[in-house]
Amino acid sequence: MIRFESASKRYVSLVRRRRVDALQDFSLEMHRGEVVGIAGPNGAGKSTLISLMMGFLQPTSGQITIDGRSPRAYVEREGVGYLTELVNLPPQWKVPATLQRMAVLSGVPRATRQAAVDATIARLGLGEHAAKSVKQLSKGNLQRLGLGQALIGDFEIVVLDEPTHGLDPLWTQRFRDVVAELRRPDRVVVIASHNLDELELLADRVAILNNGRLQRVVEHTAASTGAATMAWRVSFEGTPDVASALPGALEVVGRPGTWRVIASRAELSSGLAILLGRGAILVECAPEESRLETEFRAAVAQ
Amino acid sequence: MTRDRSPLRYVPWLALDIVKVQLALFATVAVGLPLVILRLQKSMGTAPEAAVVQSGTFTAVLTIAVLMAIGGAIGGDLKGGYYRAWFSKPISPWWYYLQRWLLGGIAVLLAPLMLGGVLALVLHRGSGITGDLMLTVALGYLLVGSACLLFSNFTARDWLVVFLLSFMQQRLAQVVEASGNFGVTLPTWLVWLEKTLPPFHLINAMKPALHGNELLHVLGYGVAMLAAALVIVQVRPLGSGGRA
Repeated sequence: MIRFESASKRYVSLVRRRRVDALQDFSLEMHRGEVVGIAGPNGAGKSTLISLMMGFLQPTSGQITIDGRSPRAYVEREGVGYLTELVNLPPQWKVPATLQRMAVLSGVPRATRQAAVDATIARLGLGEHAAKSVKQLSKGNLQRLGLGQALIGDFEIVVLDEPTHGLDPLWTQRFRDVVAELRRPDRVVVIASHNLDELELLADRVAILNNGRLQRVVEHTAASTGAATMAWRVSFEGTPDVASALPGALEVVGRPGTWRVIASRAELSSGLAILLGRGAILVECAPEESRLETEFRAAVAQ
Repeated sequence: MTRDRSPLRYVPWLALDIVKVQLALFATVAVGLPLVILRLQKSMGTAPEAAVVQSGTFTAVLTIAVLMAIGGAIGGDLKGGYYRAWFSKPISPWWYYLQRWLLGGIAVLLAPLMLGGVLALVLHRGSGITGDLMLTVALGYLLVGSACLLFSNFTARDWLVVFLLSFMQQRLAQVVEASGNFGVTLPTWLVWLEKTLPPFHLINAMKPALHGNELLHVLGYGVAMLAAALVIVQVRPLGSGGRA
């Protein structure tokens, strides 16, 4: 559906002619039915990538198409649900009027428009802020309004740039539920985020960018297989003989009863089964670092 | 979802914005000015004809009214980052800003009508609304409003650029005219500059409406600048990269 073919974007300052390669030779296809994550450190090129996808910028070289059309042509005809990292809406607009306006611009039919606005307000918990103007909203509530204006059009492409920026933990969790509801066979959802946990939970694939280049694409399916060796944190009541059951275990200094285990998921499972069979009581077992984090650190270090 | 693809679907909201800001201001002036004149009439014993008030008012404030009606349209949306919400929706920038420009023009054209209505009610000496006045106001909007929209592609302070440009061009036109009267030869580049700049000096509510070549000159310039403004906003990069 969305296709990048060796897309590059170079910014050239007018005065000093200083050149910045924000994106270099980026190729990726995003298909209907999937949630694609974009990860990278600050200045990696994520926002440029999204601006190119939205048709707000033209690539310096290469090609970007959405359903065979240029991004601008696609967006002007079909529309895209787009949440920006910094939500910019006129400060004097009231919350319901903002959603009404965005519903009209999105082409929501008149007959269902009010229902769509009401449903969005309810879905994002904006009811208690209905009398407020945009400038009176807190950062988190503004982010929710931004999400609302992006989703009200029920578009086939949804692009979320740092979607949980400014949200409290409760609404961060709620946001994840909302994104899970967005998954549809005819829709592609693109999430750019610094939050690797979020991408690990939501995305099928994560493209890792660094210095404007695509470093690698981490498939969620690969991360889910039991073969990959990872670091785990395992705690028991007391001090059972962990080393015999889990040969890759190294005791974590500073926390009695807690071990750092280097093992695949399969090795860990069989080792834990042995220990539990001996009567050990498990307190905690969690990955010390996710596969995505490991891949990210490796990609950024390149 | 079957989308409402009516090209005019957002017009009521754009119109509401203009009614709440520009039209409300114009209405305040339209009501306030005749009341000031009424007070002067009581102290001085005479009142001017409505036509004199209309032509005097629009000679003085037409450019400012136009700049208030359309100033910052594109540049303000780009600077504020609003374009990302508007133009991720199924609408073309050129069409959005053409609607915005047309509604601004309607607001400016309503200004003499509102002033005329209040003048007729308060002074009882006619409305002063004439075909010539309305044509001058319309041409003023076409010329100044199009220049403003064109410069709005490059700066949010388009109104200031156009105000200064208009001021400079009018002074330059006076200099060129005076040089002809006094037989002074001006540098070629100065004459060329005067001919090249938009003919703001031709818009004058004190004079009869333009016709012939002068009318075509203003129409041609206005339409060309409007077309250029819309083409540029359609093809220019809207974003500047990063999060700006």
